[in-house]
Amino acid sequence: MAASLRHSTLFTTVCRQLNSTLWLNVGGRSIHSSAVCCKNRAARIRVGKGDRPVTYEQALHPHQIAHRKGWLSQHTSNLQGEDGAADRTVEDLFIRRLIYGTFHGCLADELVIKRRGNLLVICALMLQKLPPHKYYFLVGYTEELLSHFYKCPVKMEIQMLEEKSVYKYL
Amino acid sequence: MTASMRIASVRLLSKTRHYFSSEVAVQPGARTVHHQPASTRNVCLIPVAFLHKGRAYGTQSSSVTVTEEPDLLFQKLSVLVKSHDKAVLDSYEFFATLAAKELGLTLAKVFEPPKNIERLTLLKSVHIFKKHRVQYEMRTHYRCIEISRITGSTSRVYLEYIQRNLPEGVAMEVTKTAIEKVPDHIQMPLWSVQSQEKQGSQ
Repeated sequence: MAASLRHSTLFTTVCRQLNSTLWLNVGGRSIHSSAVCCKNRAARIRVGKGDRPVTYEQALHPHQIAHRKGWLSQHTSNLQGEDGAADRTVEDLFIRRLIYGTFHGCLADELVIKRRGNLLVICALMLQKLPPHKYYFLVGYTEELLSHFYKCPVKMEIQMLEEKSVYKYL
Repeated sequence: MTASMRIASVRLLSKTRHYFSSEVAVQPGARTVHHQPASTRNVCLIPVAFLHKGRAYGTQSSSVTVTEEPDLLFQKLSVLVKSHDKAVLDSYEFFATLAAKELGLTLAKVFEPPKNIERLTLLKSVHIFKKHRVQYEMRTHYRCIEISRITGSTSRVYLEYIQRNLPEGVAMEVTKTAIEKVPDHIQMPLWSVQSQEKQGSQ
């Protein structure tokens, strides 16, 4: 008698629980509350209306580096057993800001900075906004300035584009 | 323009050959360092890889010196290259092994040590939100080329060629194992010398 009673109560509780779970899953609405920074927002352009042109570099997210993207700054200080990472990073940031300001509105895409031994090579894609002699002057000016500042040979290699190369519209 | 392009490529060829043998006749006028005027820099028709822009790379042609002291001998020359990009290492390995074969060096081993991944877990937010973190990793791929039984001068030539063409973002570590002649004072073991003296005295 007691055993059967216990079994029946167990059965009813199990049934009630099953019912409750079923009720929650089927047509259930619940509030999902989370902290604000669950999503990653670094170096990403969010999908929008579809009218914003975006280059290949901007369209791919940072987890695609070494998969579908390359590196914008190539040096050896981030390898195992090598040092000087912080110095190289600060130099890179300075160079990017300097060139963004010097060639204001003329840059088509991000700079690529390469270091071969002591030599610093800055590769840039430019739009044809200024007459060529101005480009030659600015390139020579930045090379001289940076080589005196960083005490190493600096070379700029620029390629001209008609307009920004669009990969997709987001 | 085409004439200057051809001359430029010939100059590059003679420059690399000069390192390997001094008996090859150097083309007349090829000893001068390249001096491309700035105005023609961006109007080149041939790809940049074939043009040798002389300013930062320009070196004086070194003559081969003959000295009386004997050359160093290396049992093993181990070149370890590291990079973040495996494709770059593949192509560099092809280049280095080709150069070694052209020079007639014996490639003992060309292998790929396992990669090393350094991971960091940092807080995603500036102030609070301890539960939300961001993970970064830095991968270092390796490639090792071992050359056995090489002389000092050959190793200097080979290493200089290899290092001048090292791509950006690639680091190199060179380990040399030298062979030396056994010093005279330990040629014979001490106990045999003593036994010879005893026999002599007896």
